[in-house]
Amino acid sequence: MNMIEVENINFYYGDFHALKNISMEIEHHSVVAFIGPSGCGKSTLLRLFNRMNDLIPNIRLEGKICIDGQDIYKKGMAVDSLRKNVGMVFQRPNPFPKTIFENVAYGLRVNGVRNEKFIAQRVEESLRDAALWSEVKDKLKKSAFELSGGQQQRLCIARALAVQPTVLLMDEPASALDPISTSKIEELIHELKPHYTIVIVTHNMQQAARVSDKTAFFYLGEMVEFSDTKKMFLNPEKVQTQNYITGRFG
Amino acid sequence: MDDTIQYELKKNLTQKVAFGAVTLFSVAIVGILVVILSFIIIKGVGVINWEFLSTAPTDGMTKGGIFPAIVGTFYLILGSALFAFPVGIMSGIYMNEYAPKGFVLRFIRTMTNNLSGIPSIVFGLFGMAFFVKQLNFGTSIVAGSLTLGLLCLPLIIRTTEEALKAIPDSYREGSRALGATKLQTLFRVILPMGMPNIVTGLILSVGRVSGETAPILFTCAAFFLPQLPTGIFDQVMALPYHLYVIATSGGDLEAQRPIAYGTALVLIILVLLINLLATVVRRYFAKKLK
Amino acid sequence: MKHSEIELQMLREEINQMWKLVISQLEKAKQAFLNADIELAREIISREKRVDALELKIDSDCENYIALFSPVAVDLRLVLSIMKISSTLERIADFCEGIARYVADNECGEINPQLPEELRMEEVFDTLISMLSDGFVALESENTKISGKIMAKDEFVDSLYFNAIGIIADYLRKNPEQMRCGLKLMLLIRKLERIGDHCNNIVEEIVFYVDAKILKHS
Repeated sequence: MNMIEVENINFYYGDFHALKNISMEIEHHSVVAFIGPSGCGKSTLLRLFNRMNDLIPNIRLEGKICIDGQDIYKKGMAVDSLRKNVGMVFQRPNPFPKTIFENVAYGLRVNGVRNEKFIAQRVEESLRDAALWSEVKDKLKKSAFELSGGQQQRLCIARALAVQPTVLLMDEPASALDPISTSKIEELIHELKPHYTIVIVTHNMQQAARVSDKTAFFYLGEMVEFSDTKKMFLNPEKVQTQNYITGRFG
Repeated sequence: MDDTIQYELKKNLTQKVAFGAVTLFSVAIVGILVVILSFIIIKGVGVINWEFLSTAPTDGMTKGGIFPAIVGTFYLILGSALFAFPVGIMSGIYMNEYAPKGFVLRFIRTMTNNLSGIPSIVFGLFGMAFFVKQLNFGTSIVAGSLTLGLLCLPLIIRTTEEALKAIPDSYREGSRALGATKLQTLFRVILPMGMPNIVTGLILSVGRVSGETAPILFTCAAFFLPQLPTGIFDQVMALPYHLYVIATSGGDLEAQRPIAYGTALVLIILVLLINLLATVVRRYFAKKLK
Repeated sequence: MKHSEIELQMLREEINQMWKLVISQLEKAKQAFLNADIELAREIISREKRVDALELKIDSDCENYIALFSPVAVDLRLVLSIMKISSTLERIADFCEGIARYVADNECGEINPQLPEELRMEEVFDTLISMLSDGFVALESENTKISGKIMAKDEFVDSLYFNAIGIIADYLRKNPEQMRCGLKLMLLIRKLERIGDHCNNIVEEIVFYVDAKILKHS
């Protein structure tokens, strides 16, 4: 059983057909990158995995998406607990205006955890997993806004890890960061891979090449190619993919 | 070549004239403000002492202090705040966070904006007709507070909505993505972030309320009341109305004049203090968020 | 260590492994030749396949590394060097196989044992082995000081090669019935000379990687 199974989905924003006949399978503990030009549907698909698109009015989904064997769009699906299981990191670091500690504890608190000892333990573990602990352990009570952009993004990753998800979605997690912070995030993805299934949307093809096991190329709402990253970047099957990754697009 | 030089000169000249005009008008505005303030201060500062602030008017308002008016203004501020703050903030939250984008929302927003454009005397008239007569509150603190509350409601709704709108959606998404509900997101992330701007709006509305005369004219203000109110259905004196009264009617207008300036000065200081408080609170919250 | 560095380290380990294998092939070729050890010669021939497999593996790993990590500067030079070194090592291994085949064919038992001694074959083999080992150390330690020494050794091998032409010509004049074996021996010596040239090429690649200098054709 794969971690994520997408069966023949079509997705619409109003009349706009944003995703067309997409099927894919994402294995446990692998990193999958979504690439493609702006507006190709890659972020839309990512946001279907934790039902983030529900927040947008006037949408329609056909087909089936299963995560961990569960149809996440079935009736009576507890969306809040789905989001606990499928964490998300956004394009711009968005720490809450709280202390570093409270930022990481947030997910636990809103999910009803009261045990302060457990919370403190999870906060430390998550910060360690996000490779941020050594940098912030002496200033947990300081505001998250005192951190640099790259640290804030790793804080957001720690925040997502705190609720122990099995899947981690990343929507261009490094596009607002400098090269050094970017490379730290990429290293982090490698370290997280053995424990999480990671789906990352990126505009940066080199980034997709560096971090992922498999890559999906989207264009105009269709998934043109989905194959091993090594194969994709050495010998893509489709001419469109080749033109995009070599920069000959359009 | 000559043409370009000519053009450059002309451009420089235009620049200087425009800059001069802007500076001149700015200085003029500040100048007018300084003149008004110093006029009031010079005329009014002489009568202000502890007795003026702590006793009731005597001798047909030609002597004595303005204590009941200060207390009355305070009651009215409190009353209108109790009514307008929760209603205004909740409306603002509804409009930005809950109402579906579309015709209804646009309609409500237009109506709110229109409400803030209505002259305050019309509010006074409405207050008298509805609160005083229809609901039978009589001329009272309740009727006056509600009328003043209505008056500042659009301001509160507007500032609350704007404050929430200024918060990027990424914070809402970030919270929802962690499994938080909409209400949890609102109380734990969105409201704390919008607080500086919301509170500023609240305080400014208080400033507005404390200075209004027309809405209380028919709804609660007493011409002269030697004792303090004992309940919310009592009439009450208020600074702006008191100022109006002693400046236009009474036994001896000349003798009342210094008292009028003193009252005006107290009122101005009150409003300035409230605005100052708004700035301080704003800074405080902004710092806390950093 | 960063993920890309780990991948690069793996590439280095692979080239080292191939390198050690080729050195041992050359050592065995020497033993097989000097002792006319047919068993050993067969072993060399069968191990040649492992060298070929390693070359293919290194090629594809280098391709992947370039495709996935878009290396620049020193990383790029290292990957390019590794690709060229692996194909050069593969050729050296081919020559070793050629020598082994000469031994395994066992056609030239009648050649005077004095002849290889006169040709200083053992010395040539030892020089080549030391050139190859020095190259290995140079890449491992990223130290190019040794490059001059290796190139001097190549000149020594070349001079022995030129002497060998005359020596074998003399020998064949005296023993014309051994013409076929004499020519085969000459070709074998030619192979050794080529191995020396390849070692030189490897040194050039190492210098390109470490010092970013181009020694080729200069």
